[in-house]
Amino acid sequence: MMAAQALRPLILICDDELPLRELIKAVLGDRYEYLEAEDADQADAVLDRFDPEAIVLDVMLPGRSGIEFLTELRERRRERPIPVVVVSAWQSQQDAQAALGAGANAFVGKPFDPKELADVVETLIAA
Amino acid sequence: MLSRRLSLRSVVGRVIAVTAVGAAAIGATLGLFFAANTRLKEANADSVRAARVSAAAFDVRGKITELGSAIRGVVASPDRASIARWRRAESAWEPSLETLARAAATSEDQEQRTEALRFEIRLYVTDYGDPLVRIAQLSPAAARSSDANTEGSRRLQQILDHTDGVAQSAAVEAAQRSADASRLAHQATVAGIVALVLTPVLLILLGIWLARLVAEPLRQTVEAASAVAAGNFDVRLPERRRDEFGSLARAFNAMTQSLATSRRELIERAESLEQSERHKSELITMVSHEVRTPLASVLGFTRLLLERDVSEAERRRYLEIVDSEATRLAGLVSDFLDARLIEEGQFALRREPFDLGALVREQAELTLAHDDAHELALQLPDEPLSVEGDRARLTQVVGNVLSNAVKYSPGGGTITVGARASAGVARVWVADEGDGIPPEHREQLFEPFYRGGAAAAGIPGTGLGLAVSRRIVEAHEGHIGFDPLERGTRFWFDVPLYAGNGNGR
Repeated sequence: MMAAQALRPLILICDDELPLRELIKAVLGDRYEYLEAEDADQADAVLDRFDPEAIVLDVMLPGRSGIEFLTELRERRRERPIPVVVVSAWQSQQDAQAALGAGANAFVGKPFDPKELADVVETLIAA
Repeated sequence: MLSRRLSLRSVVGRVIAVTAVGAAAIGATLGLFFAANTRLKEANADSVRAARVSAAAFDVRGKITELGSAIRGVVASPDRASIARWRRAESAWEPSLETLARAAATSEDQEQRTEALRFEIRLYVTDYGDPLVRIAQLSPAAARSSDANTEGSRRLQQILDHTDGVAQSAAVEAAQRSADASRLAHQATVAGIVALVLTPVLLILLGIWLARLVAEPLRQTVEAASAVAAGNFDVRLPERRRDEFGSLARAFNAMTQSLATSRRELIERAESLEQSERHKSELITMVSHEVRTPLASVLGFTRLLLERDVSEAERRRYLEIVDSEATRLAGLVSDFLDARLIEEGQFALRREPFDLGALVREQAELTLAHDDAHELALQLPDEPLSVEGDRARLTQVVGNVLSNAVKYSPGGGTITVGARASAGVARVWVADEGDGIPPEHREQLFEPFYRGGAAAAGIPGTGLGLAVSRRIVEAHEGHIGFDPLERGTRFWFDVPLYAGNGNGR
């Protein structure tokens, strides 16, 4: 288990849409191990038990939005912040600014280029 | 119109009436003064006339005394000279009496007195004087008999007394009139002074009355108009007066009411526009999200398939997702088309008899087939529930109500789906155990694009499902509604049962 985790970094995907979670997993491929959450509460529950290398976070979630979740996450865990890529169907300049302002490391709008998302996640984990 | 304008209820009418009364009072005072003045003048003229009567009576008295003296002269010495004196006296008294008669001709009593006097003197001359002169000429001694002289003196004295009576009566009359005149003059003076004192008091009272009549309502009107100018359209003027101010108050109140109504309508229109703008902007946000999410899957997976070499199993799974997401997009587009049909009022049904119970079972099982969070409880009759309607459209309604039940109870629970025939209609219901619908969202639930708090809660949807469903059910002459439950909500709809061929197909 330890060996497997060391080999394959753990990534949390938080998106309420099953097809999009499938897509993100398919895009990022077999190099990573995946945790999934449908909303911010589930994501918090996952973070209580696991320590993923990165989070891919949707903005429009039922209940608390991705931005609210991210803001709270950054306030709660100031040390060793987890890299967060925010994905959003909104893809406006305002959303990108809101995401980056809340502490996102990168912003990728839907529909995204598979290569772009893969590159962004790889770069963040490498750093 | 004229009678209304001059009515005593109107301000103009009252002011005119009061002015007329005031003018009449002043006129009456002046009239009193004038009458008193006239009477004083008359009294003056009367006393002048009385003096003239007195002078004429004195003259007549002299002539009568002369008659007496002349006859005595004839009796004493009937010579030519004394007889001539008699003749002169005989012709001299009448002009003097005439003067007295003219002077004393102020009343019937005076006229009678002077006529009687004239008759007495004439009688004295003809019955006593002339016969005595002839007797004296024939027998001076006989003429000197005491009887005749005594009789003469008596009659003369009587005539003199009557002459004095005329003068006295004229004087009494003049005194009487003078007293009357001075009494009237006194009364007129008193009345005039009272009127002069009262006039300013009356003017002050009139001023106060005018102020109450005009100034007070005018002040109220100005205040109310200022309030209206400041934007307060709730001010009202008292309408109880029946004059011009009453009319003004009624017109004013009607105006403020109409202003208030107009403003309320404008505000309501502005609010409704604002709301519709908000709906529109929410719609745009929602559409972009609803369209982008499946589109992101379709584009992402197709690019993945194009760019990478994937296994046959992966390829198949990706294509299934693409197919399902593209189908979702198609459904979305179809919702929008339905919404447009609704707004344009074009809605053609393809009616056929079918078993609504079977349709409900089919849809319920399909919707909840891959749903682990919800449990399905079916309450369907054993026999077919036959209705005549558009199968595809009613499938849409059942599917919409079912997917709402799933979407709005994210915590899971039992979804109860039922149908039964009652009172000529087939009723279908779907109950969830979700959070229910807050009262403030209930009224507009069936409005197109209305989503209540769903967008904020992150629940996907277009806000068209229930609007389209209602339209479909109503096109079937049915009803759709919902009942808030202790936990969750029960949606239901009724459509008429098929009456054509018994109770079944």
